[in-house]
Amino acid sequence: MESLVQHLSARWSLGPWGQELLAAAAILLVAALVFVVALTYAGIITWVERRVAGRTQSRVGPNRVGPFGFLQWLADGAKMILKEDVIPAQADGPMFRLAPYACMLGVFTAFVSVPFGQLLIAADLNVGILFLLAITSLVVVGVLMAGWASNNKWSLLGGVRSAAQIVSYELPAGLAVLVVVLGAGSLSMQDIVRAQGGAPWNWFVFRDPFCLVAFFLYFTAAVAEGNRTPFDLPEAESELVAGYNTEYSGIRFGGFFLGEFANIYLLSAIATSLFLGGWQVPGVSPAEQAGSVWLQLLGFAIFFAKAWALVFVVVWLRWTLPRLRVDQLMGLCYRYLIPLAFACLLGTSLLLLAVVPGSALDLGLRLGTTGLGALGGALFAWRVAHHIRRAGDRVSLDVLQRGARGAFDPAWQTRRYGAFRKAARGQEER
Amino acid sequence: MSPELQQVGREEFVLNMGPHHPATHGVLRFVLHTDGEIMRRAVPEVGYLHRGLEKLAEAHTYAAYVPFTDRINYLESMFCNQVWSMAVERLLGLQVPRRAEYLRVIACELNRIANHCIALGSIAMDVGAYTPFVYLLREREAINDLLEALCGNRLTYHYVRIGGVAHDVDEGWQGKVRAYLDHLEPILDELHSLVGGNEILVRRLGGVAVICASDAVGWGLVGPNLRASGVDWDLRRDRPYSVYPELSFEVPVGRGEQGQVGDCYDRWTVRVAEMRQSVRLLRQALERLPAGDILAKVPRSIKPPAGEVYQPVEGARGELGLYLVSDGSPKPSRAKWRSSSFAALSIVEHLSRGLMIADLVALIASLDPIAPEVDR
Amino acid sequence: MGALASYLRAIGRTVLSVGDGLAVTFSYLLRAPVTLQYPDRMRVPVIELLPERSRGMLEVDLDLCTGCAACDRACPIDCIALEVVKHAERGRLIQRFDIDLGKCMFCGLCTEACPTGAIRHSHEFEGGTGDVRALVVPFVDAPRQPAKAKQEPPPAPKPLGSILRARMPGPWDRPRPPARPEGGEHAG
Repeated sequence: MESLVQHLSARWSLGPWGQELLAAAAILLVAALVFVVALTYAGIITWVERRVAGRTQSRVGPNRVGPFGFLQWLADGAKMILKEDVIPAQADGPMFRLAPYACMLGVFTAFVSVPFGQLLIAADLNVGILFLLAITSLVVVGVLMAGWASNNKWSLLGGVRSAAQIVSYELPAGLAVLVVVLGAGSLSMQDIVRAQGGAPWNWFVFRDPFCLVAFFLYFTAAVAEGNRTPFDLPEAESELVAGYNTEYSGIRFGGFFLGEFANIYLLSAIATSLFLGGWQVPGVSPAEQAGSVWLQLLGFAIFFAKAWALVFVVVWLRWTLPRLRVDQLMGLCYRYLIPLAFACLLGTSLLLLAVVPGSALDLGLRLGTTGLGALGGALFAWRVAHHIRRAGDRVSLDVLQRGARGAFDPAWQTRRYGAFRKAARGQEER
Repeated sequence: MSPELQQVGREEFVLNMGPHHPATHGVLRFVLHTDGEIMRRAVPEVGYLHRGLEKLAEAHTYAAYVPFTDRINYLESMFCNQVWSMAVERLLGLQVPRRAEYLRVIACELNRIANHCIALGSIAMDVGAYTPFVYLLREREAINDLLEALCGNRLTYHYVRIGGVAHDVDEGWQGKVRAYLDHLEPILDELHSLVGGNEILVRRLGGVAVICASDAVGWGLVGPNLRASGVDWDLRRDRPYSVYPELSFEVPVGRGEQGQVGDCYDRWTVRVAEMRQSVRLLRQALERLPAGDILAKVPRSIKPPAGEVYQPVEGARGELGLYLVSDGSPKPSRAKWRSSSFAALSIVEHLSRGLMIADLVALIASLDPIAPEVDR
Repeated sequence: MGALASYLRAIGRTVLSVGDGLAVTFSYLLRAPVTLQYPDRMRVPVIELLPERSRGMLEVDLDLCTGCAACDRACPIDCIALEVVKHAERGRLIQRFDIDLGKCMFCGLCTEACPTGAIRHSHEFEGGTGDVRALVVPFVDAPRQPAKAKQEPPPAPKPLGSILRARMPGPWDRPRPPARPEGGEHAG
């Protein structure tokens, strides 16, 4: 972007002030673009969520607005904007108003350094991943503000839970990211993606068993940071009514929701970049990809597919699992995730020392880990097939075979109750 | 500790859970005194759904009160019908035809499965898993269809009548029930895969809110809640009524699989096991269904001789009792319902100390109280 | 060592049980949904799917009613308002037969008490209305003579629900949406 600004200012022979203005305009444009992209993704995820929830619960889900109900999120958004924005009389007004923006700010700013493609990144910071980890923690400020400013005990409990949770889960997430950073030798998101390859065994997730575990650790911790089931304690519908956003309505409530859903995409995108090879196209080197628009688009599509697959997993988890309790949540973090993350860090460091990159041992380790992943997938597929076989591919409600019944006999009911009356008098039944 | 800190330590956070709260099934209210997330005390408050159903009995004839019993507990209407009918039959000294008794067993066991679907579903939902609730509602929907075909309504059945039952069944309906039972058993296995064996659920329910056997008896818990505490007591077997002595079934008892006997997880497993036993009972009852009348000779105007009777049955939530006093007129002189939900709620305060808010929600769900039945 | 083993076992149990739960929910993506898309995407209207005994809104066939008031006496909540008057020339007349469907609890006691089957449950259930007074359905327009208990030949039974539909505003007055195949979401 900087080079573009310099090129244009040279061409239009702008002075230093003009150059600054042009740069500011360019930054605003990019920011607006990132914001719109994030909003759109967040909106589409609400549709994905409702559709997946519907289908996993043998329902249909929204299917009226647009094809497959795809435009439902626009209708919902319009509804939220039009609804009254109620602010409780006893709430702390300014803080209450500000809270959703703090939430959105933390998430949407992070989109700036997500590498959607080799050239599709707003700012490839040399501390990219650190920036992402830091800026997403802003969400907790918003949630805590909302919980406090609502002046509602349920909200306060939700806010406090959220603070404890997000701060704790930063640790395993950061440690799991370190495993990747060790392998890539850089904090820049693009460098991390470039250090991987297009084929699954060149991804960081399958580089060695420790990385595989680190992937799951990162994913779990990121889901927890995003306040998603099974870690949705700050909202915990059945316990805290709606947690920190109990008192919110209208577009402010929508702000929290957009933040949460954008966060889902964000965590999926980060996991894709760190562990799943990002925009790398199999069999094409980054240098080759940089030279072709079509390969660029293909890279973007690959990134898109991987990130949305992870979004699906996050949504799918929510509609499967129960919620943890507060102490169990902390126990999971400090007793399981953090020790495991340290173990992975140690294991990866030792492997980095022992295994020469590109050697047969390295390739064997990669292929073996990929095989492990494939084995897990196969086991999963077998369980799915087992469940379908066991309970049938059509869990039918139609026990009465009602659709097949013939024409209705209007005189029947009269007959029926007449018979009851006779039976009551002790006469012939039927 | 400094005096200020001690003061802070004594401070209580008073939370009103309900009457409108996602975890209070129906209109219940709990006043929680907590220290942060840890409960000091949770006091249930009842009475939001009082409809005077006991007083209403005094204003209606014996036969006309039967539809009111449907409304005492909308999840086990069939049992309420049956209690009332059995009490009046005992006052009248009426013999119920055997076919009617079998039909009562079939209808009641179907109702028990439907009730446990809701009970398990709400436990799962209150610990945060929404999908099992939807699956179980789907299964219950099929039972609603079957019972609608049998008695004409989906919830307020008005099926068991004084002296027998209202409608007969045909071969087609029995076949549909059999088909449904064949379908239900794999679904129960699937439920275990989905949530029953899930480590998170196990940790959320196992060892939480343990009710020991003496407490359970002392607080008057009944049914699955009592059996989960390890007390082997089932009216169908121990105070036999209807045709239950002719049918073979087991009484599942809590064994403390994932913690201690009497914890929330035992209340979950006992209910699942009871559903399986109900399936077994239904299969036997359908097989042995005798021919004959479905209704005894009942006088047009029911006037039981003066007297009083206490009639319990093993409802889906355990002992559902009716104390009925007749003064020889066509209307009862007094009716008193003994509801299991009321007893279940009364133990909450005793157990609440030291629980977390999330545990309290799990405890309430696992006790399976129904607000209308508490207040009547 | 035992502590470590149980620590690892807990991890294994969690992973396996969560995986199995995920397999169940995933398998439902591959199965057909059970939703009936009431009201506008039904293969057949719900009312035709109801079982025969279904107790819907009450209706009275005055061609069968003898004015005996057995239903009125049987009703536990007095939702039936039945007035029979003696007219000097025309004898007994049914002057009023109103049923308050807002009060009715659909127990069926009146239909069981009726000696001629004049009062019966239709299968209609879509009685939602913006005005609670619309739920009081009058079945007598002008005072009329009651029917005889035994009519020869018995009058032809009227189609179930037809009497109610004629006397009460309801969804049956509105044009039905065009029938769409069940589960029509995949069709568009």
